[in-house]
Amino acid sequence: MKNENIERILLEVEKPSRYVGGEINSIKKDINENTIRFVMGFPDVYEVGMSHLGSHILYNLINTVEDVACERAYAPWIDMEAKMREHSIPLYGLESGDPLSKFDFVGFTLQYEMSYTNILNMLELSNIPLRWSERGEGDPLVVAGGPCAYNPEPLANIVDFFVIGEGEEVNLEILDIYREMKKGEYTREAYLKRIAQVEGIYVPKFYEAEYNEDGTLKSFEPISEEFPKTVTKRIVEDLDSAYFPDRFVVPYIESVHDRAMVEIFRGCTRGCRFCQAGTIYRPIRERSVETIMNHSRTLLQNTGYDEVSLASLSTSDYSDIEGLVSRMMDEYKDKKIALSLPSLRLDKFPIEMIEEIQKVRKTGLTFAPEAGSQRLRDVINKGIQESDLIESTRNAFRRGWSTVKLYFMIGLPTETDEDVMGIKELAYKVKDEFFAIPREERKGNLKVTASTSCFVPKPFTPYQWFPQDTVEEFDRKTLMLRKSIRDSKVNYNSHDSKLSFLEAVIARGDRKIGEVLIEAHKRGCRFDGWSEHFNYEKWMESFESLGIDPHFYANRERDYEELFPWDFINTGVTKEYLIKENEKSKMAELTKDCRLGCTGCGVNNTFTGGVC
Amino acid sequence: MKNMRLKFIKRGNMIYISHLDLMRFFQRTFRRAGIMLRHTEGFNPQPKMSFATALALGTSSDGEYMDVELDSDISSEALLEKLNENLSEDIKIVKVAEREGKESIMSLIEWGQYVVKVVPNSEYILEEVQKKLDSFLKLEEVIEHKEKKKKNKVTTREVNIRPNIKRVDLMTVENGEIMMNMFLKTGSNGNLKPEVVVAKLVEYADMDLDLESVKVHRVDLFVERDGKIVTPI
Ligand code: SF4
Repeated sequence: MKNENIERILLEVEKPSRYVGGEINSIKKDINENTIRFVMGFPDVYEVGMSHLGSHILYNLINTVEDVACERAYAPWIDMEAKMREHSIPLYGLESGDPLSKFDFVGFTLQYEMSYTNILNMLELSNIPLRWSERGEGDPLVVAGGPCAYNPEPLANIVDFFVIGEGEEVNLEILDIYREMKKGEYTREAYLKRIAQVEGIYVPKFYEAEYNEDGTLKSFEPISEEFPKTVTKRIVEDLDSAYFPDRFVVPYIESVHDRAMVEIFRGCTRGCRFCQAGTIYRPIRERSVETIMNHSRTLLQNTGYDEVSLASLSTSDYSDIEGLVSRMMDEYKDKKIALSLPSLRLDKFPIEMIEEIQKVRKTGLTFAPEAGSQRLRDVINKGIQESDLIESTRNAFRRGWSTVKLYFMIGLPTETDEDVMGIKELAYKVKDEFFAIPREERKGNLKVTASTSCFVPKPFTPYQWFPQDTVEEFDRKTLMLRKSIRDSKVNYNSHDSKLSFLEAVIARGDRKIGEVLIEAHKRGCRFDGWSEHFNYEKWMESFESLGIDPHFYANRERDYEELFPWDFINTGVTKEYLIKENEKSKMAELTKDCRLGCTGCGVNNTFTGGVC
Repeated sequence: MKNMRLKFIKRGNMIYISHLDLMRFFQRTFRRAGIMLRHTEGFNPQPKMSFATALALGTSSDGEYMDVELDSDISSEALLEKLNENLSEDIKIVKVAEREGKESIMSLIEWGQYVVKVVPNSEYILEEVQKKLDSFLKLEEVIEHKEKKKKNKVTTREVNIRPNIKRVDLMTVENGEIMMNMFLKTGSNGNLKPEVVVAKLVEYADMDLDLESVKVHRVDLFVERDGKIVTPI
């Protein structure tokens, strides 16, 4: 164990094994003065971080390099944080127990806007200055990547540099350049200058933003010509041959997704208009059945998990999903290994197959119609028909299922109260399907759960111009549903509108939002994504004290001419395409799946490797 | 199919692993070792594995036991070797035997042996501590107030725990630490924690001890067979 101080407090906190490391497959390297030390910070609690596939990949990948040691650090839970502060224990890497300030790089993965205050908290707990402008030669370089890095601006005054795109491609390059420069004339500045030339790297200090009087962006330019005007994302071209680890660290305590995970393809061709992932992960790239079989076999062998999950944005869209599933079932049934297929589109997936899969372990069914009416589903280009849902549930009920979860969003563009009530109607129709089965043939106790989340318009979607519903409007709609869904068989859950409001502010935030984050952090905000710790008032006070209007970011409609803080990032999908999609959306016009024919998003002009 | 009983040690980082997590941990270890366990039938098949007693978080042990039902035929030696290949220094299998009898290990355990370290608040010499301990062990009644929560009501019950203490031997008094060896009732037929005994020494034997400093290490677990106290394997 790292030190006596830590040992003493471990028995006083919840789930101490979050903080001790030493798990099966964790990698502890010998450190000498030539070792490049990287720590992967996950701005959430250990169990959440351990469930994140990307972190497992990057941790193992970086550790394949001989003179690089990659460790892990997670946000300590509130009880541990208090003890650490009380005993002046800095945040440490789980493998060595050394404080984060001793590392060369401190990396953060940005999965969710509401984890940003945890980043600040983790830096503070490590005694690393929060702003890059306050950090000196001896401090680690703070780097961030992940889906939220596509709008890096809210963290532009905090993070030294961003990786835009898929980390597998870029991370080793950054380390190679670092090693090279450390042999000669290394300074922090020189290094940042050097990597700012690398495709996919954004170094905020070399870019300047100017604002108009109304608060919108006037210009965004590199400070000199040596830096690129646009930063283009990096992607893995051939996913099939891309690095995939043969082992994962296996946590001692149960993590959120406690299973082996294999990514079967990256990207999505459906083109749901609210979906940012659908844009930033384009073009779609698949792994072959053979590769997937091999990866999962080794992973299961080396971790001892009894479940494997086939990860992707839309699992049933894998070209040979049936072939893959049946091969897996053949191999795993006798071994009592369960298969889980998250993000299934049940409209496309035969229920017989699900039944087959769930012979090992049975779970409920989940559908994401996203909107209650067909009109609104067409607006968002979800492409699911009511009949798909009804037929699938009818089949499922006949085969003995009785738990169905339905996910919806409220506040989608053009939504009317009728659309909102459509959520109730759909949930009730599902219920009716169950009771349409003759009594003696029904199995189990029906439970339909309809959940609504509040729509957050995101950059790089056709809705990036769209004003989010106000908190009051969200609450009105939620209450309307709550009042009308009155059935012992149908449950209704809703998401916190205030949290979604802040998420919307940060998602489309600019550099000014960075100061709000620091202010909120000073006022004690952290674990904002956890309802028990989310403190809306503190956030509002933070905005007010800086004279920043959050509604400007969340609830304002933008016009097509406006320059956005994230416009300098090139995802491959053109702005014209997003505008076209936004216009089609207003007319509830569908755009077909890219697998059926190119829809002209532009990604094939920048990138190769996809299906299109 | 084979019924096996395994003895293992748990120390270092592994002392922070809860009982439930330990079960999951071993299930995975068997899989990594390529040894199939038998599973229960039904919707959610569970591997057949049971532990002797739960070890409190923060306690190390040299004598933990579990019973497993194997689906494969494998010798004790090979089982031990394969599992240890997949375990760390902090958790190791030390003994394996084919299990006799049908009773679960949980119902069999009667006694536990512990080494207990505690820091006194005053300066003591060995003889003093021994004297106090002797007087304590002469008592026929040592009362423990057990709280029971029933709905919103808390009721307390007085229990004489003296019969649950078989032996307490003083080992050393040095470097500002008292070390004792305790033999206490353990398992589903009664369970006395070493920490409670230390608290009772303060209460009944006028010993000035820092209760927060108590450190416990479990040495072994015992069953009663033909009136004799023996280890389960
Ligand atoms: S199916 Fe729709 S929501 Fe899902 S990833 Fe694809 S575009 Fe996004």
